[in-house]
This record gives sequence, C-alpha cells and structure tokens, in this order.
Amino acid sequence: MIQLIDELKVIPGVVGACIVNFQDGLKVTNLPAIFKPERLLVVGKHLLELYSAGRASFSDLTDITLNYDESVIVARELEKGSLVFVICDPTFNHNLMTMSLNLLQEEYKLGNFATAESPVGTPAQPQADVTGEIQDLLEEMKGALSKILGPMAGFVFDEVAEEWIEQGASGFSRIEVLIDLLNQEISDQDKINSYRQLISPALKAFQKG
Amino acid sequence: MADAKVFVERIKQMEGVSGCLLIKDDGALLGRALDDAETYTSLMLTTAGLAENIMDKVGFSYCRYVSFNRTNNQTFYIFPIDHYLLGLVQKADCSVADMLDRVYQLIGRVSTDGTRTVS
Repeated sequence: MIQLIDELKVIPGVVGACIVNFQDGLKVTNLPAIFKPERLLVVGKHLLELYSAGRASFSDLTDITLNYDESVIVARELEKGSLVFVICDPTFNHNLMTMSLNLLQEEYKLGNFATAESPVGTPAQPQADVTGEIQDLLEEMKGALSKILGPMAGFVFDEVAEEWIEQGASGFSRIEVLIDLLNQEISDQDKINSYRQLISPALKAFQKG
Repeated sequence: MADAKVFVERIKQMEGVSGCLLIKDDGALLGRALDDAETYTSLMLTTAGLAENIMDKVGFSYCRYVSFNRTNNQTFYIFPIDHYLLGLVQKADCSVADMLDRVYQLIGRVSTDGTRTVS
C-alpha cells in the first residue's frame, strides 16, 4: 500500500499534507508535529466549507489555493466530504502540484489508499478544562502576542498555555504565571513591556467582570 | 480608497484580466466589470471569513489572495484589501504570474484612507 501523501511531500517546497473527512475527522497527515491534529482538523473543515462554497459557484472547480505571506495552502476535494490539503512554501511548483493531486485523487477513488500505520487519534481538547470566560481572555492574549511575535505567536501561545494548564488551575488567579511563561518566550524586555501594555485592558476588563 | 469605479476599470484593462468586481466587507457592491456580479459577492464574503479563520488557526500573518482554480483555466481570485475585497476572473490563456504582478502593483498604489490614489 502506498502512502500517497508522502509522494506529495517529495515535491520541492511542500511542507506536508493532510487528508480530512467531514465525518471521520483527520484521516492522515505527514505535516510536522508543530501542526497539531486538532488545528489541522479545524483547518480541514474550514477548507471543506470553502470548497463547498466554491463548488456552488463553479461546477468545474478543481483546487483552491490560499496564498498567505508565509505559506500557501492548496486544497482539493477527493470525494464528497473528504479533502486533501497541502501546505507549501510560496515558491512551490503549482503545475507539478496539480499533476500530483490528480494522481492522488485517482488513487483515492480507486481505494488505493492506506491510512497511517499509527492512526491519527481523536483530536485532543487541550483547553477543555478552561472555562468560557478565561478562554475569551486567553484568546485576546493570544491575539496580542501575534503583534509581538508575528506568525509563530499562535504556536508559542498554545504551547505555553498547555504547559500552564498542566501546572495547575487555569483560573485568573494564576494568570501572572502564564504571563511570566510567555515573557520567557518573548525574551526581549521592550517587547515584554509592549505585550503587557497590549493585554492590560483585557486583564482589567476581566477583573471587573 | 481611490474611486472604486476607476480602480475596477484599471484592473479590468489589465492584460490577463477577464473581469472584476470590488465589494466592501459588508457585501456592498462598489464597482463591477463583469456579468452576474451578485453571484460572486457571497462567495467573496464567505471566502474572506474562512481564509481569516484558517490564518488565525495556523498562525499565518496575512492573506494575499485566495484562488478558485477551474478546469476552464478561468481562475477566480479574491484579494483582501483592508475592508474591501477585489474579485477577479483571469483570462484562460494569460501569463498568471505577470497578471498577478500587475494587479499587485496597482493594489500597492491605492489606499483605503485617501493617502494614495490611482494615478
């Protein structure tokens, strides 16, 4: 059995790929571990929605390409409710990608597709024990961090927040612990001060209830 | 922003562009140079929202454009420009890279706050 998405990864500029089914969730991925399964599933479901919207306008739709500053996402529906998406450097060869996706789609329809030997588990809910109110605050803090650290802020924040949750109660009483952990990641005093300024209004608003 | 109709007309005149439309992020149609503009509006709004959600989820910083690639090669592009969305239909037989360069050049010369205008 062939790991078809591994063949996509051979294309220069391809970071990795992922197949998502709307019902079954994340089927397989060879993206680096920094792309967590629960995030890939959400991205995949957004792409399925996008594909569905595109198909409603264009009956001959083949792929969708989302060009971001850092990377490009190419998505192709394999069959109804299933979609493969590939994350690439902006310099990737689009023609080569299209050919490879055509091949993958054919093989998928023929059933010549094996899922990973280690199936992707049910996405974890890392912040399941975080209450709704503090979750909103965390989202605001995450958004503010992106203004300090740029595109990697989302990854950094989630990693730190997970560590913070594992250490103890995820309530406001320990919010300074979280900020300290984030400050260690920022590791620049000017940026630490800027981050404090950015999140202060949210912290005050939360305290006031 | 530079006068929307002038902007749309400039885009439409570019080599490789078959048609285009400009909407505000609330869906208001500001200028059009293609038929059935209304049918594209909801797709543009849906796309902008989902592309932003994906951007936030993955940690990317800015969406340059989203393209819907078709077997007839008349790719439909959506460019977010501040609070506006430019939709563009590509001619089937054009040089895509050159067309995108020309569009970017014009987008870079317009402003939504009135500080720059199409000249």
